[in-house]
Amino acid sequence: MIDIQLIEECRGGNFNNFRKLVELTSPFAYSVAFRMLGNEDQAKDVVQETMVTIWQKLKKIKSAEAYKTWLYRIVVNKSYDFMRKRKRNPEFVADEQTWRLISNRISEEPSAALENGETSKIIGILTERLSSKQKAVFVLSDLEGLSNDEVSEITGISKSAVKANLYHARKSISEKVEKYL
Amino acid sequence: MTRESEKYNKVLDLLRKSKPALDSTDDIERKVIKRISKVGHSGLNLSDIIDFLFGWVYIGWVRRSLIGASIVLVLVFAYQQTIILKRIDFLSRQTIVIDRENGPALSDEVEKMLTMYKNSWKRFPSKNITISEKQMKELLEAVNELQLKYKDLENLIEGDPELKKMIEKKMIENSRTKINL
Repeated sequence: MIDIQLIEECRGGNFNNFRKLVELTSPFAYSVAFRMLGNEDQAKDVVQETMVTIWQKLKKIKSAEAYKTWLYRIVVNKSYDFMRKRKRNPEFVADEQTWRLISNRISEEPSAALENGETSKIIGILTERLSSKQKAVFVLSDLEGLSNDEVSEITGISKSAVKANLYHARKSISEKVEKYL
Repeated sequence: MTRESEKYNKVLDLLRKSKPALDSTDDIERKVIKRISKVGHSGLNLSDIIDFLFGWVYIGWVRRSLIGASIVLVLVFAYQQTIILKRIDFLSRQTIVIDRENGPALSDEVEKMLTMYKNSWKRFPSKNITISEKQMKELLEAVNELQLKYKDLENLIEGDPELKKMIEKKMIENSRTKINL
């Protein structure tokens, strides 16, 4: 993904190298931000904010592995900020049309990948009752495929809390799936 | 595998497969480079200062500890106020007794005389008499001396029957003279 050489070069203040780092890193950051926020524009804003923060704090990065965790952590924190801002105005309303869409998609064999709009709708209604933390843990663990240790390091919560949050998130989503599909 | 978990896994597979796609990183790159060019590599901006000063409020355990501490402080304050109010209420019901320094013991008769003396002031309010402490002492000494002399005289009369007889006779004569008048 990223090598330490590239990070070293970016530290020198070279914009071209940093452009390359943005190009390589943005898709990962966008994926997490989009799955957490369910909104393309907000996810792009999060990526942009994340990249600016990375540029400002490049000196702190010690290794390429640490960079990945650090990147996810910034994305998750920026996403929390956006979620906090829009908390009073929930965007997702579970309508019949969306449930029919999910039902159709999972009955297809093999099911085709969803478009961004469809993905945001589905994640939105499945996770609407989850707390920010539960949502982050679910996205990082079940959708991004990270281990509990990595999720714990990224979110700053203990491993047992990660497991508990993941359990509640899965339970809530399962109940919805069972109820509506 | 239950039907519920099968459905859940299918939804999860669908979402995993549908990784949000970032249409182009060019726009993000351009915006990020524009922003970091303005700020400079090591420039200290307002968000850095705010982050440095208030960034700790985003740490979960710090936030929860502060909430806990503020609740404890409010409770302690309320408890102290209650104690203070109770104490004030208790003190306001107490009778204040100031123990004045005891002077020389006076005999009953002297006390009576002083009372009479005080009453005479009330009877004749126009005649205000002011005496000093020294004069008061002299008066008391004189009264005591007079009492002693009176007792001596009494003993002398009791010891001499002839003298007693003569004095009784004289007193009867005196009383007659008063009645005649």
